[in-house]
Amino acid sequence: MAERPEDLNLPNAVITRIIKEALPDGVNISKEARSAISRAASVFVLYATSCANNFAMKGKRKTLNASDVLSAMEEMEFQRFIAPLKEALEAYRREQKGKKEASEQKKKDKDRKTDSEEQDKSREEDNDEEEERLEEEEQNEEEEVDN
Amino acid sequence: MAAAAAAGSGTPREEEGPAGEAAAPQPQAPTSAPGARLSRLPLARVKALVKADPDVTLAGQEAIFILARAAELFVETIAKDAYCCAQQGKRKTLQRRDLDNAIEAVDEFAFLEGTLD
Repeated sequence: MAERPEDLNLPNAVITRIIKEALPDGVNISKEARSAISRAASVFVLYATSCANNFAMKGKRKTLNASDVLSAMEEMEFQRFIAPLKEALEAYRREQKGKKEASEQKKKDKDRKTDSEEQDKSREEDNDEEEERLEEEEQNEEEEVDN
Repeated sequence: MAAAAAAGSGTPREEEGPAGEAAAPQPQAPTSAPGARLSRLPLARVKALVKADPDVTLAGQEAIFILARAAELFVETIAKDAYCCAQQGKRKTLQRRDLDNAIEAVDEFAFLEGTLD
Protein backbone atom coordinates (compact mmCIF):
# COMPACT_ATOMS: atom_id res chain seq x y z
CA MET A 1 0.00 0.00 0.00
CA ALA A 2 1.54 3.32 -1.02
CA GLU A 3 1.41 5.84 1.79
CA ARG A 4 2.59 8.76 -0.23
CA PRO A 5 2.52 9.35 -3.97
CA GLU A 6 6.34 9.45 -4.04
CA ASP A 7 6.34 5.86 -2.85
CA LEU A 8 4.83 4.74 -6.13
CA ASN A 9 8.10 3.76 -7.67
CA LEU A 10 8.96 2.94 -11.22
CA PRO A 11 10.50 -0.51 -11.73
CA ASN A 12 14.09 -0.68 -10.50
CA ALA A 13 15.31 -2.82 -13.37
CA VAL A 14 14.16 -0.30 -15.96
CA ILE A 15 15.58 2.67 -14.06
CA THR A 16 18.92 0.90 -13.72
CA ARG A 17 18.99 0.11 -17.41
CA ILE A 18 18.27 3.70 -18.39
CA ILE A 19 21.01 4.97 -16.06
CA LYS A 20 23.58 2.47 -17.31
CA GLU A 21 22.87 3.32 -20.92
CA ALA A 22 23.21 7.03 -20.21
CA LEU A 23 26.61 6.60 -18.57
CA PRO A 24 29.88 5.45 -20.13
CA ASP A 25 30.89 1.79 -19.88
CA GLY A 26 32.44 0.69 -16.66
CA VAL A 27 30.66 3.27 -14.54
CA ASN A 28 28.63 1.87 -11.67
CA ILE A 29 25.94 3.25 -9.48
CA SER A 30 25.44 2.67 -5.79
CA LYS A 31 22.15 1.28 -4.57
CA GLU A 32 21.40 4.47 -2.66
CA ALA A 33 22.03 6.65 -5.70
CA ARG A 34 19.90 4.40 -7.88
CA SER A 35 17.03 4.42 -5.49
CA ALA A 36 17.30 8.20 -5.11
CA ILE A 37 17.13 8.63 -8.88
CA SER A 38 14.10 6.36 -9.02
CA ARG A 39 12.41 8.45 -6.37
CA ALA A 40 13.39 11.63 -8.22
CA ALA A 41 11.77 10.26 -11.37
CA SER A 42 8.51 9.68 -9.48
CA VAL A 43 8.63 13.22 -8.08
CA PHE A 44 9.30 14.48 -11.59
CA VAL A 45 6.19 12.76 -12.93
CA LEU A 46 4.08 14.11 -10.08
CA TYR A 47 5.37 17.64 -10.57
CA ALA A 48 4.92 17.46 -14.35
CA THR A 49 1.41 16.13 -13.89
CA SER A 50 0.51 18.99 -11.61
CA CYS A 51 1.91 21.55 -14.07
CA ALA A 52 0.17 19.90 -17.00
CA ASN A 53 -3.07 19.84 -15.10
CA ASN A 54 -2.88 23.61 -14.64
CA PHE A 55 -2.71 24.00 -18.40
CA ALA A 56 -5.66 21.66 -18.88
CA MET A 57 -7.73 23.61 -16.36
CA LYS A 58 -6.78 26.86 -18.09
CA GLY A 59 -8.14 25.37 -21.28
CA LYS A 60 -11.28 24.33 -19.38
CA ARG A 61 -10.59 20.68 -20.11
CA LYS A 62 -10.89 17.79 -17.73
CA THR A 63 -8.57 15.47 -19.60
CA LEU A 64 -4.80 15.95 -19.66
CA ASN A 65 -3.50 15.81 -23.19
CA ALA A 66 -0.09 15.69 -24.83
CA SER A 67 0.20 19.41 -25.38
CA ASP A 68 -0.50 20.05 -21.69
CA VAL A 69 2.49 17.90 -20.83
CA LEU A 70 4.67 19.69 -23.39
CA SER A 71 3.63 23.04 -21.95
CA ALA A 72 4.51 21.72 -18.50
CA MET A 73 8.02 20.84 -19.70
CA GLU A 74 8.47 24.41 -20.87
CA GLU A 75 7.23 25.73 -17.53
CA MET A 76 9.57 23.44 -15.61
CA GLU A 77 12.49 24.71 -17.69
CA PHE A 78 13.05 21.37 -19.39
CA GLN A 79 12.83 22.90 -22.87
CA ARG A 80 15.54 20.54 -24.08
CA PHE A 81 13.08 17.68 -23.67
CA ILE A 82 10.46 19.23 -25.92
CA ALA A 83 11.98 18.32 -29.32
CA PRO A 84 12.68 14.64 -28.49
CA LEU A 85 9.25 14.38 -26.87
CA LYS A 86 7.56 15.72 -30.00
CA GLU A 87 9.40 13.13 -32.09
CA ALA A 88 8.40 10.37 -29.72
CA LEU A 89 4.80 11.54 -29.88
CA GLU A 90 4.81 11.40 -33.69
CA ALA A 91 6.20 7.88 -33.61
CA TYR A 92 3.67 6.86 -30.97
CA ARG A 93 0.79 8.23 -33.03
CA ARG A 94 2.01 6.34 -36.10
CA GLU A 95 2.27 3.15 -34.08
CA GLN A 96 -1.21 3.54 -32.66
CA LYS A 97 -2.58 4.17 -36.13
CA GLY A 98 -0.76 1.10 -37.43
CA LYS A 99 -2.16 -1.04 -34.63
CA LYS A 100 -5.68 0.16 -35.31
CA GLU A 101 -5.36 -0.55 -39.01
CA ALA A 102 -3.90 -3.98 -38.29
CA SER A 103 -6.81 -4.97 -36.10
CA GLU A 104 -9.30 -3.67 -38.68
CA GLN A 105 -7.49 -5.65 -41.39
CA LYS A 106 -7.63 -8.76 -39.22
CA LYS A 107 -11.37 -8.35 -38.88
CA LYS A 108 -11.73 -7.93 -42.64
CA ASP A 109 -9.67 -11.06 -43.27
CA LYS A 110 -11.79 -13.02 -40.83
CA ASP A 111 -14.96 -12.01 -42.65
CA ARG A 112 -13.43 -12.87 -46.02
CA LYS A 113 -12.36 -16.30 -44.73
CA THR A 114 -15.87 -17.32 -43.70
CA ASP A 115 -17.13 -16.30 -47.19
CA SER A 116 -14.53 -18.44 -49.01
CA GLU A 117 -15.31 -21.47 -46.82
CA GLU A 118 -18.90 -21.40 -48.06
CA GLN A 119 -17.66 -21.29 -51.69
CA ASP A 120 -15.51 -24.40 -51.16
CA LYS A 121 -18.46 -26.38 -49.88
CA SER A 122 -20.56 -25.72 -53.01
CA ARG A 123 -17.59 -26.69 -55.24
CA GLU A 124 -17.37 -30.14 -53.61
CA GLU A 125 -21.01 -30.89 -54.40
CA ASP A 126 -20.38 -30.24 -58.12
CA ASN A 127 -17.53 -32.81 -58.18
CA ASP A 128 -19.78 -35.54 -56.76
CA GLU A 129 -22.30 -35.06 -59.55
CA GLU A 130 -19.60 -35.48 -62.24
CA GLU A 131 -18.48 -38.84 -60.86
CA GLU A 132 -21.97 -40.31 -61.05
CA ARG A 133 -22.26 -39.35 -64.71
CA LEU A 134 -18.99 -41.13 -65.63
CA GLU A 135 -20.16 -44.41 -64.13
CA GLU A 136 -23.30 -44.40 -66.26
CA GLU A 137 -21.25 -43.97 -69.46
CA GLU A 138 -19.07 -47.01 -68.68
CA GLN A 139 -22.09 -49.25 -68.32
CA ASN A 140 -23.37 -48.17 -71.75
CA GLU A 141 -20.07 -49.12 -73.44
CA GLU A 142 -20.19 -52.68 -72.09
CA GLU A 143 -23.63 -53.28 -73.55
CA GLU A 144 -22.49 -52.26 -77.04
CA VAL A 145 -19.54 -54.64 -77.08
CA ASP A 146 -21.78 -57.59 -76.46
CA ASN A 147 -23.69 -56.93 -79.60
CA MET B 1 18.72 -38.24 -23.21
CA ALA B 2 17.42 -34.74 -23.65
CA ALA B 3 20.19 -33.94 -26.13
CA ALA B 4 19.25 -36.93 -28.31
CA ALA B 5 15.62 -35.87 -28.35
CA ALA B 6 16.56 -32.33 -29.27
CA ALA B 7 18.90 -33.55 -32.02
CA GLY B 8 16.05 -35.56 -33.50
CA SER B 9 13.98 -32.46 -34.22
CA GLY B 10 14.88 -30.60 -37.36
CA THR B 11 14.73 -27.13 -35.83
CA PRO B 12 17.87 -25.54 -34.38
CA ARG B 13 17.95 -25.90 -30.63
CA GLU B 14 17.89 -22.56 -28.83
CA GLU B 15 20.26 -22.08 -25.96
CA GLU B 16 18.30 -21.36 -22.82
CA GLY B 17 21.13 -19.57 -21.10
CA PRO B 18 20.64 -16.56 -18.87
CA ALA B 19 19.41 -13.82 -21.15
CA GLY B 20 20.49 -10.90 -19.02
CA GLU B 21 17.51 -9.81 -16.97
CA ALA B 22 15.28 -12.66 -18.07
CA ALA B 23 13.75 -12.79 -14.61
CA ALA B 24 12.61 -9.18 -14.73
CA PRO B 25 9.18 -8.76 -16.31
CA GLN B 26 9.32 -7.05 -19.68
CA PRO B 27 7.30 -3.88 -19.29
CA GLN B 28 6.85 -3.30 -22.99
CA ALA B 29 7.01 -5.75 -25.86
CA PRO B 30 9.64 -4.73 -28.42
CA THR B 31 8.09 -3.06 -31.44
CA SER B 32 8.94 -4.16 -34.92
CA ALA B 33 10.14 -0.63 -35.80
CA PRO B 34 13.88 -0.43 -36.44
CA GLY B 35 14.34 2.52 -34.07
CA ALA B 36 14.51 2.26 -30.30
CA ARG B 37 11.30 1.09 -28.72
CA LEU B 38 9.08 3.94 -27.83
CA SER B 39 9.09 3.80 -24.07
CA ARG B 40 10.65 1.53 -21.51
CA LEU B 41 8.75 2.62 -18.47
CA PRO B 42 5.48 0.75 -18.01
CA LEU B 43 2.60 3.09 -18.81
CA ALA B 44 0.44 1.52 -16.09
CA ARG B 45 2.84 2.66 -13.36
CA VAL B 46 3.08 6.15 -14.80
CA LYS B 47 -0.71 6.26 -14.93
CA ALA B 48 -0.83 5.29 -11.25
CA LEU B 49 1.39 8.26 -10.40
CA VAL B 50 -0.77 10.62 -12.45
CA LYS B 51 -3.92 9.38 -10.75
CA ALA B 52 -2.33 9.99 -7.35
CA ASP B 53 -2.86 13.70 -7.94
CA PRO B 54 -6.27 14.56 -6.45
CA ASP B 55 -6.74 17.47 -8.86
CA VAL B 56 -6.40 15.32 -11.96
CA THR B 57 -9.66 14.02 -13.38
CA LEU B 58 -8.56 12.17 -16.50
CA ALA B 59 -5.42 11.78 -18.53
CA GLY B 60 -5.29 10.80 -22.18
CA GLN B 61 -3.18 7.92 -23.39
CA GLU B 62 -0.85 10.24 -25.27
CA ALA B 63 -0.29 12.34 -22.15
CA ILE B 64 0.68 9.24 -20.16
CA PHE B 65 3.04 8.15 -22.90
CA ILE B 66 4.77 11.54 -23.06
CA LEU B 67 5.12 11.64 -19.30
CA ALA B 68 6.76 8.21 -19.38
CA ARG B 69 9.17 9.31 -22.08
CA ALA B 70 9.89 12.57 -20.25
CA ALA B 71 10.65 10.62 -17.08
CA GLU B 72 13.16 8.52 -19.03
CA LEU B 73 14.83 11.64 -20.40
CA PHE B 74 14.89 13.04 -16.89
CA VAL B 75 16.62 9.92 -15.52
CA GLU B 76 19.24 10.08 -18.29
CA THR B 77 19.82 13.78 -17.66
CA ILE B 78 20.16 13.58 -13.91
CA ALA B 79 22.39 10.50 -14.13
CA LYS B 80 24.74 12.30 -16.52
CA ASP B 81 24.82 15.45 -14.41
CA ALA B 82 25.53 13.42 -11.28
CA TYR B 83 28.29 11.59 -13.11
CA CYS B 84 30.09 14.86 -13.83
CA CYS B 85 30.46 15.28 -10.05
CA ALA B 86 31.71 11.72 -9.57
CA GLN B 87 34.21 12.19 -12.38
CA GLN B 88 35.68 15.20 -10.59
CA GLY B 89 36.30 12.92 -7.60
CA LYS B 90 37.87 10.39 -10.01
CA ARG B 91 35.42 7.72 -8.89
CA LYS B 92 33.79 5.16 -11.09
CA THR B 93 30.75 4.64 -8.95
CA LEU B 94 27.97 7.15 -8.69
CA GLN B 95 27.13 7.86 -5.07
CA ARG B 96 24.16 9.47 -3.43
CA ARG B 97 26.17 12.61 -2.69
CA ASP B 98 26.84 13.09 -6.42
CA LEU B 99 23.13 13.24 -6.91
CA ASP B 100 22.69 15.76 -4.09
CA ASN B 101 25.40 17.94 -5.61
CA ALA B 102 23.75 17.83 -9.01
CA ILE B 103 20.41 18.82 -7.52
CA GLU B 104 21.99 21.79 -5.80
CA ALA B 105 24.00 22.84 -8.84
CA VAL B 106 21.36 22.57 -11.56
CA ASP B 107 18.45 25.03 -11.46
CA GLU B 108 16.00 22.72 -13.17
CA PHE B 109 16.43 20.19 -10.36
CA ALA B 110 15.40 22.64 -7.67
CA PHE B 111 11.98 21.02 -7.40
CA LEU B 112 13.69 17.93 -6.02
CA GLU B 113 15.13 19.64 -2.98
CA GLY B 114 13.81 18.08 0.17
CA THR B 115 11.89 15.37 -1.64
CA LEU B 116 14.44 12.58 -1.67
CA ASP B 117 14.80 12.00 2.06
